[in-house]
Amino acid sequence: MAVSFQAMASPCEILLHTADAALAARTGRAAAEEVWRIEAKYSRYRPDSVIGRINATAGHPFSVDPETAGLLDFAQNCYQLSQGMFDVTCGVLRQAWRFDGSDLVPDPALVERICQRVGFGRLDWQSPVLTMLPGMEMDFGGLGKEYAADRALGMVDAMAGVPALVNLGGDLCCNRPPPDGSWQVGVERPDRERMPARVLELTGGALATSGDTHRFLLKDGIRYSHILNPQTGWPVHGGPRSVTVAALSCVEAGMLATFALLQGDQAEVFLQQQGVPFWCLW
Amino acid sequence: MQLNQGGMIREGLALAVCALLTGAPAQAYDNGFTADDSATGSTNLGVLSYQEGDGRIGVSKYQANVRNVWADDHEFSIDLSFDTLSGGSPNGALPSRTVQTFATPSGRSLQKPVKKAPTVQTCTTPSGTTYNCTAGSSEKSSIYDVSAGRLPMDNSFSDKRQAISMSYGGSLAPSTRLALGGAFSTEADYQSVSANVALTQSFNQKNTTLSLGVNVERDSSSPVGGTPVPLSNYALFQRQGDQTKAVNDVLLGMTQVMTRRWLTRLNLSADNAQGYHNDPYKIVSALDSTGRVVGYLYENRPDRRSRRSIYWENRYALDRDTITASVRAMRDDWGMSSKTVDLRYRFALSDGGFIEPHLRWYTQTAADFYRLYVMQGDPYLKAVSADSRLGGFTAKTVGVKLGYEMSRDSVFSLRFERYQQTGDVNLAGLPQLQGLDLNPGLSATIVSADLQFKF
Repeated sequence: MAVSFQAMASPCEILLHTADAALAARTGRAAAEEVWRIEAKYSRYRPDSVIGRINATAGHPFSVDPETAGLLDFAQNCYQLSQGMFDVTCGVLRQAWRFDGSDLVPDPALVERICQRVGFGRLDWQSPVLTMLPGMEMDFGGLGKEYAADRALGMVDAMAGVPALVNLGGDLCCNRPPPDGSWQVGVERPDRERMPARVLELTGGALATSGDTHRFLLKDGIRYSHILNPQTGWPVHGGPRSVTVAALSCVEAGMLATFALLQGDQAEVFLQQQGVPFWCLW
Repeated sequence: MQLNQGGMIREGLALAVCALLTGAPAQAYDNGFTADDSATGSTNLGVLSYQEGDGRIGVSKYQANVRNVWADDHEFSIDLSFDTLSGGSPNGALPSRTVQTFATPSGRSLQKPVKKAPTVQTCTTPSGTTYNCTAGSSEKSSIYDVSAGRLPMDNSFSDKRQAISMSYGGSLAPSTRLALGGAFSTEADYQSVSANVALTQSFNQKNTTLSLGVNVERDSSSPVGGTPVPLSNYALFQRQGDQTKAVNDVLLGMTQVMTRRWLTRLNLSADNAQGYHNDPYKIVSALDSTGRVVGYLYENRPDRRSRRSIYWENRYALDRDTITASVRAMRDDWGMSSKTVDLRYRFALSDGGFIEPHLRWYTQTAADFYRLYVMQGDPYLKAVSADSRLGGFTAKTVGVKLGYEMSRDSVFSLRFERYQQTGDVNLAGLPQLQGLDLNPGLSATIVSADLQFKF
């Protein structure tokens, strides 16, 4: 049984291996509501979301709820593990960079100015109180979708207890394989969108993809990916266009994929060292 | 990032992810798993037909029920039912070798009216009762004759009953619920009003539930033709005023989830009733020493009754099917005790429907004051009744229920049941009673259809 819905600007679906249509509908509905809840809570586009309120309060202490505190702790861990390359405060750089496929590369002086307001190390995070500098912005980006996928799967597993797969626009996770062996997953090619590059068989864990399939700038033959180095404010060079990683959870897989992209041309070497299955598309 | 850290990054990340995903669950979980923020409700519409054999009682029942549960868990339900009853009901007298004449409850005399109407006809019903029905006469006779050897039955029974009940419940605390309810029913000769309250407490993550309930009921009886004076001579038509009865009962219940598939429930209940318990339309045959009928007396039951019962039910869920098995034992201070065993097995069909066969076995012992007849002039008579519902008997029910899922939110079900009751054998030594079937059994067929849908 499949329950489809639209969330986080992507087509989403929940696949459940069960003959009980009522259970599938109920469970799918609950999982979709959970995804929408997380989307609404951490959406950069909604002033009433937690992120919106955090950003509006920059410069003053803001007390967050337990779920947001957990995500901030995680963001801090990733900031430290990546030695500053993964930074949830670099969203403000989009004031300089608009990745619309055009050739409008920003003025370096503007980028330099904006970089003064970027850096997780510049804010004060003592759970549950967050104090950012005025002008700083928080944006969980792709982490929100991966977190929602893992949360939705947890809910489906608890409610239905049947083999299930949650797919939020390409970030997917499953609890266990269906009785006929495995879930069949197609991984998209960046330049030929509807044709799967390969079909993967998933028997457990998660798959997440990070990449610049849709968002890039092209100038003088140089492709500027939307993965920005928070320390310089400029895109990372030479990286693959898309990285897909398999790991135990969507959050872990997504974070490893993002870390890999931040490695630029060392992406594959990095992933080999982590010992996880991966696919890079250059 | 330093590449030579290699696997350490993955380890560190795995730990961080673990902390994130097992952290405090989001607020949405607190509502349980109701995805809907709005209320959920269900409604049930049903019709039922109960028909006893041999021209005896038939009941048609029409019922509607609506229940609504709000997001914060408080709920309201209302139940309406309308019954019509008709057919023949035994009046308590014994079959006899001679024709017997009785009056219907509105009658005042056993004298047949003298008529000079041109056409006199006798109408016979399937049970052997004959009526004087005269063409052109607008007055229906209130006298009826019963043929020799037949169980005396009054066919003038026809009644309509309306009942309404309501219940409202909510949570006082996360694991405590309180429910209040009331009911009212009325028919031509009887009215009943009741109120109840129940407190439920859950423990062990809702695996154990204890409940305590109290119900109080007040009934009033205003029989057709007036309330007969108990133990008085039937032929004298002595009457007294309307009567009342009060019933209080208390119930202690426990439900326990034993395993993921097995649920058990235990209910203990006790009730106490005070007031008028007689059936105002029932009489007892008075016989002489040879067993010949010399007259009839109105029955009399004690004005107090207290009962206790224990009910134990188990439900077991297999992969798709469910088994429900229950036993009940009841005892009262009228000397009656009963046992019930009930079994159901529900075969779940792949399209969402079900087939559920049902078996029920019931046995009861007679009340102390139950008699088939009394001897004329018995000075020790205080309470006596020949109502077969107070006698000893065994009954078996065999049935099947079929369910069909019309849509995700609606179910149609059909039920067929066959009830067979056999009275305890009573050897009557009196000569005039030889060859008479003094304690015929009873059989009934029940057919019901229900439509339930959620909204």
